[in-house]
Parts: sequence; C-alpha cells; structure tokens
Amino acid sequence: MSGAGSGERTLELLIGPQHPASGHMRLVAEVDGDVVVRLRPDIGYVHRTVEKIAETKTYLQTIPLIERPPLADTANHNLGYVMAVERLLGVEAPPRAQWLRTLLAEMNRIHSHLYGLGIHGIMLGSSTAFMWAFGDREIMIEMAKRLTGARITYSYMIPGGVRRDLPPGFAEEMEKALRYLERRLPDYDRIFFSNPVTRARLEGVGVLTREDAIRLGVVGPNLRASGVAYDVRRARPYAAYPELDFQVVTRSEGDSMARMLVRVGEIRESIRMIRQILARMPDGPILAERYAKMIPPKWRDYVRETGRIKFPAILASLRPPKGAEAVSRVEAARGEAVFYLVSDGGPRPYRMRMVTPSLRNVVLFSHLTRGCRVADIPAIYGSLDYFPPEADR
Amino acid sequence: MGGVEEVGGRGGRNPVVSLWGHLKAVGTGLKYLIAVPRMTVKYPDEVIELPDGYRGMLIYHQDLCISCGLCATICPANAIKMYLPSGGGGGEGGGEKPETPPKRHPGIDYARCIFCGFCVDICPTGALEHSKVHDAAYERVEDMLYRPEEFAAGPPTVEFERPPKRLRPVMDERRGISYEPVG
Repeated sequence: MSGAGSGERTLELLIGPQHPASGHMRLVAEVDGDVVVRLRPDIGYVHRTVEKIAETKTYLQTIPLIERPPLADTANHNLGYVMAVERLLGVEAPPRAQWLRTLLAEMNRIHSHLYGLGIHGIMLGSSTAFMWAFGDREIMIEMAKRLTGARITYSYMIPGGVRRDLPPGFAEEMEKALRYLERRLPDYDRIFFSNPVTRARLEGVGVLTREDAIRLGVVGPNLRASGVAYDVRRARPYAAYPELDFQVVTRSEGDSMARMLVRVGEIRESIRMIRQILARMPDGPILAERYAKMIPPKWRDYVRETGRIKFPAILASLRPPKGAEAVSRVEAARGEAVFYLVSDGGPRPYRMRMVTPSLRNVVLFSHLTRGCRVADIPAIYGSLDYFPPEADR
Repeated sequence: MGGVEEVGGRGGRNPVVSLWGHLKAVGTGLKYLIAVPRMTVKYPDEVIELPDGYRGMLIYHQDLCISCGLCATICPANAIKMYLPSGGGGGEGGGEKPETPPKRHPGIDYARCIFCGFCVDICPTGALEHSKVHDAAYERVEDMLYRPEEFAAGPPTVEFERPPKRLRPVMDERRGISYEPVG
C-alpha cells in the first residue's frame, strides 16, 4: 500500500521480470482493488546490444545476429536486413531467389503466428491451445528444416540470393502440410477461438480504436485489427509479393479477440500464398550473377546438382561503397520491421539500426490496460504477440 | 471518489449460445481423445532421422584442408579458430624455429558454434561438411573445444543404451507429421 496514511488507495503490483509470459520483462501495475489505474512496461531485461555488435561483425556475419532477437520470426528479419545490404551493394537477387525468400517468409509467418497464439492460449489458461499451436508449429519447422538445414535460425537469405534451392519432393510434402493445417483450423476455432471462455476473456477487452492505433504508430496485426489495412507487403511490395494474390486481413473491433483473429486470417492467407509460390515459382539461378560467377569452377557441378550454393570468398568481406546508406522495410510476422545501414567503405556496418515490430507495439501496454481488470492484463498482453527479446534487441 | 472506471464489455451473454459453444469445444476435445494425433517421438528410444543437408556438427577432412582460414574468417560466433599444430611451433618459450612456419588448421568450439554452416559453404576445397549428429552431450565445457587433431577425428558418436528406432518424418494430411521406420 503506497502512502496509505496520505489518503492514497492504490497498490503497486509487480509482474515479472521472471518471464511473465513471452520473455523477461516487468509490468508495473498500479491497481485500485482489481482495476488497473496505470501500467508501465519495464523493458530492457533481454537487451543484447544487437545494433552495437553488428558494428563488429561483417555484413554476412550480422545475418545470424539479426535472427536471434525475433526468435520464431527469423526469416522475415533476415529478409529485411539482406534487402538493406543489397541496396548498399547495388545487387539484386534473381527472381527464383525472390520467390524462395517469400516462401520461407510466409512459412515463418505461419510458424510465428502459431507461436504467438499458443502463448496467448497459455496466458488465458488454455493449455490445449498452447500444446496444439506449439505442436503444429513443428509442421513449418520440419518443412523449413528440409529447405534450409536448420529448424529456426535459418540464415537462409544472403546478399544476392538464397543458399539453397528446393529439395526434391518439397512441393508435394508442403501440400500435405497445408491441407493438415486447413483441417486443423476449424478445430482450433471450436476448441479455442470460439470457446465461450475465450470469448468472455477477449471480446471487448483492450479495445484499440482506429485513431489511437494510427496515432500511437502501432504496426502489424495489432494495427490491422483496428481497421487499418496497412501491410508493407501491399504498401511497398518486395520480393515476390507484387506477383502474389493475397488479402490484407483486417477487422474493425480492435479488441483482443480481433487481434487474435487477424492472425488466424493471416495464417489462411499465408497458406494461399505458399500454394501460389510453389505452383508458379520461376526457374533460374538462386544467386546473383555477380557472385555466382565467383564460385570456384570445381564447385559449379556440385551447385547445379545439389542446388546448394558454395560461397565465393568475397562474401566473407563484402565492402559496400563508402558513405552508402540504405533503408529497408518488411512486413514481419508481428508487424513492420525497419533496417537502416550505413557503410564507411569497410567490411563491417558503420551503423546498423533495427526497428522491430515489438518495439513499436510496446506502447500498447500502458494504453490498453488503463481501466482493465488485473485478470485482463495477460489477455491483453497475449493478444499483442509482444516478444520482449524482439523489442529489446 | 477517484479511481479509474472499469472499461471493457463483458456484457450479458446468451446462455444458450454459450452452452452450444461449450458443447462444441468439449466435443472437439473428445474427438482428439479417441484419435490421438501424436507428433512427439519417444527419444532416446526413437530418434528422428534428419534430412539430407541438415546442418549438424561438422566433419573436418584435414587432408583436403589448405589452411586458407576462410572458415575462421567467416565464422559469426568465433567458434572456429586457426591453431598451430600442438607439440611444436606454437608454444611459449619457442624452441628452434623451422624454416617454413607450420601451417595453421581450424579447430572448433561447440560451446560457441551456432550451426549456421557458413564455414561449410565457404570452404573452397570441401574440407568441411555437415554430419547429421546434433545431439551430443558434454560433461565439461572444455570438452566442447576440438583442436585440429580432435576436429579431424570426426564428430562425436552418440551412444544409446538400447539401439533406437530410427524414424523419418513425413507430412500427413490427417496427423500432421507421421513417422516411417528407416532401414
């Protein structure tokens, strides 16, 4: 009880920093009985100086670094960073590489959304939703493992292209995987999304109006759930998105339920996009000619037969022109991710700025929780798909 | 006085609609109780077969190595470093200097390795490749450092008390992932 003698009636409630949900952070809630008067997110517990470390790594070495903070959503951040490096270098990935990048980005979006939905589920006390989502995320992990050789941190996209072509039989296996997910979604709906308990916990809770969403600079599904049809894939199309048919999923309610359902809608859209990608992917090289011609001749047959790139030595020390600057934007699973790079002509970035969607969305903790019940805090938190390591970087 | 008004609409709900929702949820649960789609395998009695191209622990062919050091240069985690041959040349206190300095060879610290595979992809002679070993366990952190001679001896073999059943995951429309026994 803070200052009970002076007539104050609120209590300060500390939630965390021992991993309250999706990572280490602390919520400092001032409560009046069961009603939250004010809530302040105390972030930075998992800050790991990614931007500074990038200044000590070469451009290629920074790729695995970029993938660490967003965890589930590695490919989309990999793509954003590599697009910025390519702009610095003035190199462009060939069409097939662009389609392969888009394929992995959309697989990763499904994976990341399932991850977020699962965590939201467990925050509401639904172990079933958690177990289901984390189990089904394995589908996309398994397919990504076949494509890239790794489960989560793929480091698949490199300046000039991608590291591997599709393995044999990938499209057929993926079709089965997508059909499975499509069969599962109605069951998710019955057991979790439309479950009366879930509805009671989420409908009308943490309402973000369209005006506030725009004013606060919210991004991603959280923005689209408030009726703003902004999606970088549509606003500034990149990779293979200009050629894909997809909808920007929006809802008008702006509550926690709407945010969850936008993600479910996006899983459906990603399934559609993956089908289009695998049906229409152009043939051709997967690495830009500028680097492909530097692959040692003895490896040319190997690259052609296995579809796996051998790096030319130059990738170890890429040097963009002095003074070059580049910005890139991608629609990562949790929202818009922005990368800014400055080159001083050396092999390492002079400056790397990484603005992640979670960083943009953290403002919602204070905004949406004012006046809610203490039990609504996890319901709102989970609906934001906020990921502390991604925000702290 | 004071205080913040409670917001949020947990308004009256239609109990009939609600009951129907509960019944559907429980019914779905029952369906899965009968037909259990289990993706988990019982490791270590069952082991998932890894696909070709999996980025596991490294195999180092010292006979192919030309000591170019690209693997150490590109390693983002500083896991690979170049070492002088042990027992001569590199140690403190010197000894006689050979006419040509001894060649350095890569060693790897698996406590640092992030399995990005950049070293394998940049190796110009194919001296480095991935194995499918990824489940080695160590008792001491020092044991995770492999100097060139140990590195060349190959990745650790994982020993099982009982020979495990090897399973290959295949996508399944109904179950998500099902497993086929291998060999």
